[in-house]
Amino acid sequence: MAEGTPDVKEARRMLAKGICIAGVGETEQGIISDRGSFELLAEVTRTTLDDAGLELKDVDGIVTAFSFVESTLMHSTTLADYMGMKPGYFASVAVGGATAPLMAVQAALAIDAGLAETVLCVRGDNTRSGISSSGMIAMAREMSHGAYEAPFGLTTIGGYGLLAQRYMYEHDIPQEALAAVVATQSEHAALKWNAMLRNVVSVEDVMADRWIATPFHAMDCSLVSDGAAAFIVTTAERAKNMKKKPVYITGIGEGFSHQYISQATSVASVRDGLGRAGRRAMEVAGITPQDLDVAEIYDSFSFTPLIALEGFGVCGPGEAGDWVLEGNAKLGGKLPMNTHGGLIRQAHLGAMHHIVEAVLQLRGEADDSAKTEYNGGNHQVPDAKLAITNGSGGILAATSALVLSSEPPSAA
Amino acid sequence: MSEKPAYTKPLPDLRPEDATFWEALKEHRFIIPCDDAGKPFWYPRKYAPGTLSETSWMDASGNGTVYTYSTHFIGPSKAYKGDPPHIVALIDLDEGPRMMSILVKDEEGYPSLDPEDVKIGMKVKIVFDDVTDEITMPRFTPAG
Repeated sequence: MAEGTPDVKEARRMLAKGICIAGVGETEQGIISDRGSFELLAEVTRTTLDDAGLELKDVDGIVTAFSFVESTLMHSTTLADYMGMKPGYFASVAVGGATAPLMAVQAALAIDAGLAETVLCVRGDNTRSGISSSGMIAMAREMSHGAYEAPFGLTTIGGYGLLAQRYMYEHDIPQEALAAVVATQSEHAALKWNAMLRNVVSVEDVMADRWIATPFHAMDCSLVSDGAAAFIVTTAERAKNMKKKPVYITGIGEGFSHQYISQATSVASVRDGLGRAGRRAMEVAGITPQDLDVAEIYDSFSFTPLIALEGFGVCGPGEAGDWVLEGNAKLGGKLPMNTHGGLIRQAHLGAMHHIVEAVLQLRGEADDSAKTEYNGGNHQVPDAKLAITNGSGGILAATSALVLSSEPPSAA
Repeated sequence: MSEKPAYTKPLPDLRPEDATFWEALKEHRFIIPCDDAGKPFWYPRKYAPGTLSETSWMDASGNGTVYTYSTHFIGPSKAYKGDPPHIVALIDLDEGPRMMSILVKDEEGYPSLDPEDVKIGMKVKIVFDDVTDEITMPRFTPAG
């Protein structure tokens, strides 16, 4: 699909209504064996409503995702029932790791169409504690073809590994570049109040860790965790009476490359497919990668943000490894990345936490120093005004990206 | 030929649309699907991707090149517990399409090739592994 097709003006017209995120929330993350899936969703909804200064009755739309534990084909309305809501708009989004930004897009579309005014986007699960063995098998098989991939013993980790090893081969990327992503994000997670892994690790620590599937050591892989996160999408007009400064959605974009990894044409085609999401989002927002202050980039594996940074145009093809090794992704670096620790160090809830963290950054609220009971620290990027965030489903198959801004979009 | 243990690894999902492929493998013939212009593609399905023309089949050489691989130290299920690492690879067939398989040492289908013997770009050829009475899996081993 060509860049700019269809007309970006339509996206700008919609976002010029001042579509914004007016509240965010996140629970504790990690091993939470005493709370169920819907309980976690309701808990985070309370936190998020409180953040926005709203009550449940003020919410007229709900967008959820899916659960690996509570199987239901009608997830959004099942949760609405659980929480005692009668929403005028409801949808469940299920595109793996791309789900969270797509939930925001779904909410924006509903608001633009007049279906709802204040939309709760909420995702959470007790994936770690509550999953059954059949659920685990379903999750493992999710990403591989049942006849032409799964019987060869492919794992999700190995599927990413196939692409990562080809990427490293073509661009002569050292193993240290992958480890540097983990080390960088470990420094950030050490400051984030609810990150599962709070210890700082070095490049050498990651390199010495046990192999799971080449080129990934255990520390290169994302976590499996329990927890929930949410955000509320509304209009600037509606947000006027709310408690917090709205954060505007000024760019949206999607990109698709392949579903099964054996169908990926090349490293370049995957980079281009997922990159389209970010490039398109920045085109809609009328910005370039140089304008960004912070990047919350989907990081299912240490390799994942490298190819995304290149696809989005932050770095040239094959340059992201050196870029991270040089310290550009650290707090204080050129473009701090995954300032919450990401899926590798904080928790795995798709891209939900990437969005929540981007919003906190743009509100200037990413300093957890006051959370002394959690030993929080300051991971705020000073004066952050523009953020990019994305999620990818499958093995870099489907990507959705958002540009978020502390300022409303300029007129279309 | 040494006695193989009972096969406990995942077997392919079988569907009517690609039964021809698995029936040929059982006879140790390797065929690949193509569209109405004779262009081969992967993976087998009733209608060709992109054109949705009806699939026909062509004989393939079974020769290819390793496009990439990942050495799996942990398998997807309990059936892999205690196994040495297995090497999942994407193989560019000489006819064009790219398919997934595992790399093995010899004609017997198992054991796995040693990870230090694998390189991107190495030439490989197909071997047929009769894992059950009904299913033969395509594996690849270094050529020549």
